[in-house]
Amino acid sequence: MLKIGGVLCAALAILLAGCGKSSPTSAVATSTARGTLMFNPPVRLASLDAPTLTEDLGETSSGQQLLELAGTPTCGVDVYYIEYWTVGAKGEAASASGALMVPTGTDAPCTGPRPIVLYAHGTAFEKTYNIADIADSSNSAYSESALIAAIFAAQGYIVVAPNYAGYDISNLPYHPYLIGAQQSKDVSDALTAARTALPNTFTPGTSDNGQLFITGYSEGGYVAMATVKAMTAAGETVTASAPMSGPYATEALVDAVFLGSVNIGSTAFTPLFVTAYQEAYGNIYSEPTDIYEPQYAPNMFELLPSNTPIDTLFANGTLPETALFSNSTPVIPGNAQLTALLAVPANPVFAIGFGTPNLITNDERVSYAIDAVTNPDGAVLAPPSVALAATPQNTLRIALKTNDMRDGSFWAPGGPMLMCGGDQDPTVFFSLDAGTMATYWAALPAGLITVLDLNATPTANDPFAPLQVAFQQDIASILATSGEVGVAESYHDTVAPFCTVAARGFFSKF
Amino acid sequence: MRTTTITALLVLLGLAAPLARADDSGLDNQVRIGLYYIHYASNADDISGPYTPPGLNLRIDDLETLYLAYVRRLSTHFELELAVGYPPLTKTVGRGPAMLGSVPYNGQVISTARWLAPSLLLNYKFFDDAAKLRPYVGIGVNYTDFYSRQSTSAGDAVTGGPTSISLPSSIGPVGAVGLSYGISDRFRAYASYSVSYVHSRLTADTAGLIHTTNIDFNPRALVVSVGYSF
Repeated sequence: MLKIGGVLCAALAILLAGCGKSSPTSAVATSTARGTLMFNPPVRLASLDAPTLTEDLGETSSGQQLLELAGTPTCGVDVYYIEYWTVGAKGEAASASGALMVPTGTDAPCTGPRPIVLYAHGTAFEKTYNIADIADSSNSAYSESALIAAIFAAQGYIVVAPNYAGYDISNLPYHPYLIGAQQSKDVSDALTAARTALPNTFTPGTSDNGQLFITGYSEGGYVAMATVKAMTAAGETVTASAPMSGPYATEALVDAVFLGSVNIGSTAFTPLFVTAYQEAYGNIYSEPTDIYEPQYAPNMFELLPSNTPIDTLFANGTLPETALFSNSTPVIPGNAQLTALLAVPANPVFAIGFGTPNLITNDERVSYAIDAVTNPDGAVLAPPSVALAATPQNTLRIALKTNDMRDGSFWAPGGPMLMCGGDQDPTVFFSLDAGTMATYWAALPAGLITVLDLNATPTANDPFAPLQVAFQQDIASILATSGEVGVAESYHDTVAPFCTVAARGFFSKF
Repeated sequence: MRTTTITALLVLLGLAAPLARADDSGLDNQVRIGLYYIHYASNADDISGPYTPPGLNLRIDDLETLYLAYVRRLSTHFELELAVGYPPLTKTVGRGPAMLGSVPYNGQVISTARWLAPSLLLNYKFFDDAAKLRPYVGIGVNYTDFYSRQSTSAGDAVTGGPTSISLPSSIGPVGAVGLSYGISDRFRAYASYSVSYVHSRLTADTAGLIHTTNIDFNPRALVVSVGYSF
């Protein structure tokens, strides 16, 4: 008995010794070098064939409108979640994540070598923003995720869309908002990681055909242009680009804001770029109260992006919803002209940015405004000049100049560029941004720079005329139902799908 | 866990030893061979983890496998049974929505694993050794180790990529009822029904995204076997 029992136990022990094996998961990168893909292959978060994508979008009125604009999906879309290494504003290693969208299906435009669209998203206030999470319609990135899936990926473009450092799983405790040097690296690193991932997807036959298109909306429009600038400087080829509604002329835009043309959303945008510049340059303020009113100052440095929805931050008084500046006009002794300039403007949209309690102190506003008129930005105070301020003194203004797309030696995109937007945009001023850059590039050969103003009167034979007509009908509809305030609040977001479709049309020419 | 369990089995054998008393016939050892018909009355929590829609659950496919046992007669009424099935390939099947996007889920075999699941039972046999029919009941302990854990291609499609699976071993009680029929001095036929408590926590790792669920496998095993005494 003991002998037999011993044999059984020995056999059991041998069997147990072989236990524990499992199928492997993705390889994990040990390097933190820029552009390193952390998990290869990356995880696919969603796989939607063309009928399913059509059905999903058709379930909501906004999705139906998107389908009307984008067209019926030709391809399915597989959405992968990529995690990669990039750098922060100070060159520190930073993790980041994003989406790789791969067209699927058997139709010719959906397989084989395909062009890549590098897409940079607009300002996100929620730290959990994840553009790869297309399966969850409740997440804050869903609408933008669905937008680029429908407009680009479902029509045969491979899409790479970073979430940016500072969002989602990123270990960077801040977001380098409107820091062109960092954001262009972030986007380029996402592209490198996505190219590493591409051969290891569920559809390895879908590959990069060598065409690279760069686009983005709002903050992403700025990021797109900064990336074109950086890649052009590095001698890399960009087939074509389409920055949309971006604050390209950061100095000019913020000068206009501080001089009274307060844009919609400024109370949220301002802490984002002030914190980013403070992290990057360390000289924007000594104490937060140098810039922010005392009641808001303690929370501002790490406030945005936040795990708390922006509407909650407004509702609980952490951040004023609209009052960037005090409605008590500062008086500048001996300078009646500037004092008048700082008064609450007559324009009702700009006037929304004034109130009590407000976010920015009058002292900071006056300091900035004096610098803005002493060292003027040509686009703001001396048009048609588009020259940057020669010697700004205010540290915030210096940072804005550093990150303005006009800064440094004259540059021009290596490939054709479309700048799309709407000239009544109260969030990112079209004429001050796209208009300034168009003037900056006015001497370039015809055809290199195209400016599309969705608000302009459509002209015959203009391929963008149908989009202009449709956009203006949308705005008219909003005006009829919600009035001018409704238009002001929704104008910037309304532009996005129309410009994105315009970008696709522009890219399709190459 | 493995060492602990083997030790536990040996300790149980040792505790039972004082009860052992040789039969007059000298046929105190028995080996049995037969078939396990296993039904899993499984119950699992919905799968949790990032990017997981609600309502994703699992079930385990029923299966058959070879039954092997060594039995030591302790007395007229008691015996100790060490039963081991040939490690079956168990299939974990998706239960929930038909599709996740365009990926089939419900009814798909998403992972497999082999089970090494020895049970040690102390059986009480009714009637005496001469009886042709002897009902019996048994209680004991089951140890289950899951190995060769594989995510299938359908599973990889669901989870989004190559997936490693962790399924810690389980130890739990087992109970059995059975009936034996004497064919000859050395051969008896057996039929039994056993219920085991097998619990584990399934963890799937797909490119660093972790999904988990707790599973009560609740195997219900019908065994038909023949025993040879020596």
